[in-house]
Amino acid sequence: MIVQLIIRRLAISLVILLAISVLVFGATLLLPGDPALAILGQQATPERIQALHEQMHLDDPAWSRYLSWLGGLFTGDLGTSVASGQPVAELVGERARASVVLMIAAALISVPAGIALGIWSALRRGRTVDSAITGISLVLAALPEFVIGIALVALFATTVFSILPAVTMAPPGTQPWDFPAQLILPIAVLVLVVTPYIARMMRATMLEVLDSGYVEMARLKGVPERRVILRHALPHAIGPVAQVVAIQLAWMAGGVVVVEYLFRYPGLGQALIDAVNYRDVQVVQAVTMIVAVIYIVVNLLADIVGILANPKLRTGGDR
Amino acid sequence: MTHATTPDSAVDPTTVDPSGAGPARSAPDRPARRSTLVTRTWAQRQAKVGVVLTALIVLIAVIGPLLLPWATGYTATGFADRPFQDTGLFGTDNLGRDVLSRFLAGGTSLLLYSVLATALGLFLGMLFGMVAAYIGGWLDALIMRSNDVLLAIPQLVFALLAITVLGPQPWVLVAVIAITHAPRIARVTRAATLDVIGEDYIRAAEMYAVPRRRILFREVLPNITGPLAVEAGLRLTYSIGAIASLSFLGLGMQPPAADWGLMINENRIALSLQPWGVMLPVLAIAVLTIGTNLIADSIARASASANVGEK
Amino acid sequence: MGLGLSAILAACGSTAAPAEQFDLEGPPTTGGTVRVGFVGGGASDTLDGANATNLGDIARAVNVYSTLLSFDDDYVLQPMLATSVTPNEDATVWTVVLRDGVSFSDGRPLRPEDVVASFERIVDPEDPKSGAASLAHLQEIVPVDGRTIEFRLATSDTALDESLGQYTSIIVPEDFDAAHPVGTGPFTVESFTPGQSTELRRNPHYWGEDGPYLDTVSLLNFNDTDALINALLSNQVDAVAQIPSALTEVIGADERIRILDSETGMYLPFTMRVDRAPFDDERVRQAFRLAVDREGMIEQVLSGKGTLGNDMYAVFDPSYPDELPQRAQDIAEAKRLLAEAGHPDGLEVELVTAPIQSGVVEAAQVFAEQAAEAGITVSINRMDLTAYWTDYLEYDFSQTFWYTRNFLAQSNAAVMPGAPFNETHWEDEEFTALVEEARTVVDDAARGELIARAQEILYDRGGYLLWGFANQVDAYQGYLGGFVENRTGIPLSGFRLDRVWIGEAA
Repeated sequence: MIVQLIIRRLAISLVILLAISVLVFGATLLLPGDPALAILGQQATPERIQALHEQMHLDDPAWSRYLSWLGGLFTGDLGTSVASGQPVAELVGERARASVVLMIAAALISVPAGIALGIWSALRRGRTVDSAITGISLVLAALPEFVIGIALVALFATTVFSILPAVTMAPPGTQPWDFPAQLILPIAVLVLVVTPYIARMMRATMLEVLDSGYVEMARLKGVPERRVILRHALPHAIGPVAQVVAIQLAWMAGGVVVVEYLFRYPGLGQALIDAVNYRDVQVVQAVTMIVAVIYIVVNLLADIVGILANPKLRTGGDR
Repeated sequence: MTHATTPDSAVDPTTVDPSGAGPARSAPDRPARRSTLVTRTWAQRQAKVGVVLTALIVLIAVIGPLLLPWATGYTATGFADRPFQDTGLFGTDNLGRDVLSRFLAGGTSLLLYSVLATALGLFLGMLFGMVAAYIGGWLDALIMRSNDVLLAIPQLVFALLAITVLGPQPWVLVAVIAITHAPRIARVTRAATLDVIGEDYIRAAEMYAVPRRRILFREVLPNITGPLAVEAGLRLTYSIGAIASLSFLGLGMQPPAADWGLMINENRIALSLQPWGVMLPVLAIAVLTIGTNLIADSIARASASANVGEK
Repeated sequence: MGLGLSAILAACGSTAAPAEQFDLEGPPTTGGTVRVGFVGGGASDTLDGANATNLGDIARAVNVYSTLLSFDDDYVLQPMLATSVTPNEDATVWTVVLRDGVSFSDGRPLRPEDVVASFERIVDPEDPKSGAASLAHLQEIVPVDGRTIEFRLATSDTALDESLGQYTSIIVPEDFDAAHPVGTGPFTVESFTPGQSTELRRNPHYWGEDGPYLDTVSLLNFNDTDALINALLSNQVDAVAQIPSALTEVIGADERIRILDSETGMYLPFTMRVDRAPFDDERVRQAFRLAVDREGMIEQVLSGKGTLGNDMYAVFDPSYPDELPQRAQDIAEAKRLLAEAGHPDGLEVELVTAPIQSGVVEAAQVFAEQAAEAGITVSINRMDLTAYWTDYLEYDFSQTFWYTRNFLAQSNAAVMPGAPFNETHWEDEEFTALVEEARTVVDDAARGELIARAQEILYDRGGYLLWGFANQVDAYQGYLGGFVENRTGIPLSGFRLDRVWIGEAA
């Protein structure tokens, strides 16, 4: 039963990814102008345009270009950047790694922090701690990430204290994580944006679970409160929270764009903004697909965690 | 901005979980319930704070442009001095224009396009959500699967794809934000509608062969305003964040427009030199989004407590 | 750009220790490494100086290779590998005499055959280099004796020496291979990673008498200005090329940093297509030129770091007509001209702009504001770079940028029949005749006369609205010596790193 459910989710994810690829590719067809002309710029001669057309298969029908583009996605051939003439995969590869480092660091902080704060808040329901956490997360949840980012920069890098670098400055040939101090503010922004959602969800789920019959029952049986929470309440809360965590992690794939732009972090988001500024469709397509894949994979994992953590399904599966 | 990928988690999930408790269980006392939602919302202190904060910024955005010459002596585009000098109350910007004037003139576009995007998103979402719920079958499946596809691309990334193809025009921003909001609103609407159309009075109306469209708009729509009001507040918050973020990235409003997001983009090179060119719009956007989010949260709490009361 | 810069600026303001003093008076000291940072570069970066386009390419071209002549800090041609370059009476044959005792960096002597091969490589029809367009009339290059070469041209060209002085006209050995570059410049390439960094080492066979003083030089590519300036202020680089003029004051306020503010012939003009309405009417063009507030443009766009333009380029050309009255804003006259041209109620135009160079989009905004006064409604169409270059040369009203050049070279590039970049679609018989004649007249005074007359035509009815010349603003650490103001528009004293040295703490 569990296996069936998981396979079904997997199939749905694949269909959605395929639909996204059609959508993303379709965007190219709307683009006015000749990409060959854009690549060659001032060096555009009829012969070179023709050669580039053949090289990029620009004269093939749309469906055949779509199929070869889709095939390229699987083989790592993401096309050619209009702005730089470089292979997109080369352009995007190292950047993607830098972004993933940022996102994983943020996730490692915000997920435990969010869960802990949510539980704490739920256990102190109605007290000062609870209202403080609820209030602060309500405010943080409202703010666009660039607002949080600029506030942090003003606070820690420029106006109030000048203790942290406000921009990533990796000299040529080095990686951004060679300078950990430069990562603090970008990661802090992501953490501040993501944690409130996880905390709120955790709190709500915990409250629901704590009010439920079996927790009540466990308490009546005289199970110690600590054990009630860890053994009885928490497992029931994991499913829904896994969903929110997944959504938040997937969100980071998009939110990291603004953060990278703000801190000049040489990641995927920065590459995306540059590409949009140059109307470099091949790069935008590739990054969009990468982000969509991340989003779907993370959601799929959350679904699977949810299925596995669901006590009803689990016991059902065991029998 | 892309908080929007977290549709329902900004408000207490138990309060907006549409499958859990549709707000409109009892048809007979509809007018009374609606006034209850408003009064229950207003009864919360955070709602009053939210309204005051929002009103403050809306006032600046709406009246600011009219006050310009009187308040600052400069127009929003005229030059006061060299770039980044101390002239005027808040100094000059990257082209030597008066920061306060740009600030007063710069809220209108953000507010206007956010409201438009939210309204359009609500309209589309409600339309598809109600149609999906009411007609059901393959159309329902098609609409909900299309939703899944749209939801799998983060809002900002989707907007950037659209801007790459169509250019950074205001209508592109409005349309793309609306389209990314619509699937979430459609989900909420669909769930709420499904709840409502199970009710006896709808069945009765159907038996009397009242046209479907009439049923949808006359009977269903007024009964799902609770969750929709919550959604509207949330989506407005996210629209403001999204449009401001795009302008901040240099891909929203274009120069020489006076716009808060664009101001931040243009002036942040000199944050330490002339912080006001960045800080004034940042503060305004912060206050505005906090205000609208407080209101949205209050509505959510109010509609949840209404349900509790009915239970 | 952004926030980071401010971070360090703030830090410096409050906590900076008193700046150390350095001895930069005495004779240059030898040794050490200097790191030079600049924005730009990528996978297409090249070691072939003949194809230099971006800042990194130019820095490599200038320091790894030499040219026959070169422009000095005042933008005057000086001998380099050639001791003399002289035309015949109609400038169809130019005789070049090579310097004695010049060796390539691999120790082999420079021969006339190498010079011939260098220029044949530049004009190679299969693979033309950047300088090919200005050498299109080159028929034959003939070694005359061990030190002398003749350049024989199909048409007269009194400005051939300027073409030879371009940094792309590099001299290389006959068997040159760009992957293993050999030149006669002050440095040699130690390592090269496109888009990231280049290591240069002192050339032991350098022909020059002075310099180079440094043992090694690192050229470092940065992604953006902000990171670049941060690197300078945190002492991760010793000198940076091009800083935003609006930040000159605040960077210069740091006691450790020196600002190098050079007047140049670089300009960011507005281009009006003279063959299409409304700019086919010269009264409209003049009205636009009278509507602009040139001083305001320099203040707003360049933060005052620039000099006034008078709608004529080549400001450092000896024949530049200084005596023509400086055009200034005259709204009433602009309105009158517009009314006369059939626009009594003003005029609406679209201005196509793109961030092709810093200051361009800003200039568009400032002009739009200024022109409104004269009843000209300018709607700004800000394009992305790719779109801009796709339709470049087609826009009715747009902007461009040019670096320092003398009159004939610039005219060949931008306004003569067949010019590759005729942005204003300029075709004026009288002007063309004057320029063509000037290309044949060897006598400096007589040629100067012709050039001045041609310039006056541009002043009276040309398609450029040339409001000013931008300064080149660079910054470097206070311990570096050898940087001087330089008019070429190439950053950091024309990237002449052979003159740079590290001062000792005093």
